[in-house]
Amino acid sequence: MRVEDVEVTFRTPDQVVQALSGVSLQVEEGEFVALLGPTGCGKSTLLRVVSDLTHPSAGVVEVRGRPAAEARRANEFGFVFQEPALLPWRTALDNVMLPLEVVKYPAAERRARCEALLGMVGLSKFLNRYPHELSGGMKQRVAIVRALAWNPSILLMDEPFSALDELTKNQLQDELLEIWSKERKTILFVTHNISEAVYLADRVVVMSAHPGRIVATLPVELPRSRDPGVRETLEFVQHVKRAREALRL
Amino acid sequence: MSERRAEPRESLLEKLLPPALILAAILGVWEALVRFYDVPPWLLPAPSDIAARFVKATNLLYHTGLTVLEALAGFAASAVIGITLSALIVHSRFLERGVFPYIIVSNAIPIIAIIPLLTIWFGYGIAPKIMIASIITFFPIVTNTTRGLKSADRRILDFMHSINATRREIFFKVQLPSALPYIFAGFKIAASLSLVGAVVAEFYGSDRGLGYLVITSATQLRTDLLFVSIIVLAALGVTLFAVFGYLEKLALRGEAAVER
Repeated sequence: MRVEDVEVTFRTPDQVVQALSGVSLQVEEGEFVALLGPTGCGKSTLLRVVSDLTHPSAGVVEVRGRPAAEARRANEFGFVFQEPALLPWRTALDNVMLPLEVVKYPAAERRARCEALLGMVGLSKFLNRYPHELSGGMKQRVAIVRALAWNPSILLMDEPFSALDELTKNQLQDELLEIWSKERKTILFVTHNISEAVYLADRVVVMSAHPGRIVATLPVELPRSRDPGVRETLEFVQHVKRAREALRL
Repeated sequence: MSERRAEPRESLLEKLLPPALILAAILGVWEALVRFYDVPPWLLPAPSDIAARFVKATNLLYHTGLTVLEALAGFAASAVIGITLSALIVHSRFLERGVFPYIIVSNAIPIIAIIPLLTIWFGYGIAPKIMIASIITFFPIVTNTTRGLKSADRRILDFMHSINATRREIFFKVQLPSALPYIFAGFKIAASLSLVGAVVAEFYGSDRGLGYLVITSATQLRTDLLFVSIIVLAALGVTLFAVFGYLEKLALRGEAAVER
């Protein structure tokens, strides 16, 4: 995935806001990249530009060798938001089935596929529950497997864990790493939580606001197959420190 | 799930008994006062007289059926046209700007003023009554449906766009179901209004229907029949409201209804 010199400006009645300015980024296939920055630095906008939901005012986005719009039409992107954003009138299973009804997925295999995915995140017993009957963590698990259902190559995650409590958050982070190590998706993960970015990513891209731009790119040199113990190591703390210093720019 | 469990469910009897007792008391006092002061029946008939009239009234079922038919036909026409129009409005900025002012104007026109006009055009049959019932229900249905269609979660819409869903898929899988609570809230208001519309239309130039019954019994000072008509109308209104309330519950399952 290649983002080059992307600019995004929004016009409101009384001002022009530059959401992204001269943003360039290269992401390898199967790489886990965290976009870290304060609110308003355009990291969510960057996700929207990559997935062709927002058109850049200037610049080029190329996904797996083709323009973003074509990649979107080829269903390359799975989106996960801060809130689960499930359909309240559909059960957990039917929520995961939703994208399969839209992308041309063989009807006969839909159910088995979704049941397997929900099983993977420990929700086998909750297939027929409605969202209001599930906890916050469960709902977000459903939202994550909904974004995996049709096996897209890229996961775009917009602060997916920031509304969860600490314990659930840590649990879901580990589950996400496990999914990623099994399915080898390319992941763009937006967060404003420094240790979350370091814990999850291969590379932390630090952004800054007004205008939104990339100020630093920090490779994370921690061993893969990370477990919670990694957070207590000196190396981890040094990574967090470096990211924090970059944010202060 | 944090649903509040009320104390053990009241039995139907416990629920119905207090209002029934109060009703009986009121009727009893009414009956006694009328008998004691010998109030003339054209001024205020006793409850027993009204009940007797209710039993004897010929053609009551026919008049009631006709009014219900007019109200429901108008309601149904409004529902179909209103929901279709709302769907078009949320898909086109031009239509929204162009049509909405007229929808608001349609609500501002006093409905009684249009009845003579519609009667000139369509005669004394049931057609103008259906139209009035339809016009009077149009506004709550369109405004509620439009609001409902716009209430769809923006992130789900983003999600649907990100997987290249068509407008049609987005409408039927996301927007329309999101609008259901609003549509039913509109239906509940419209149901009672449709009855008002049909009855008011029957006041003017009609020889059948509950509205006709109200007008003729009033002009002939048959006050007992007037009471019977009013009670039937009230019962119909409550029934329609209850039916749509029940349909709403069925359609929404665990979701909350929209308060209006």
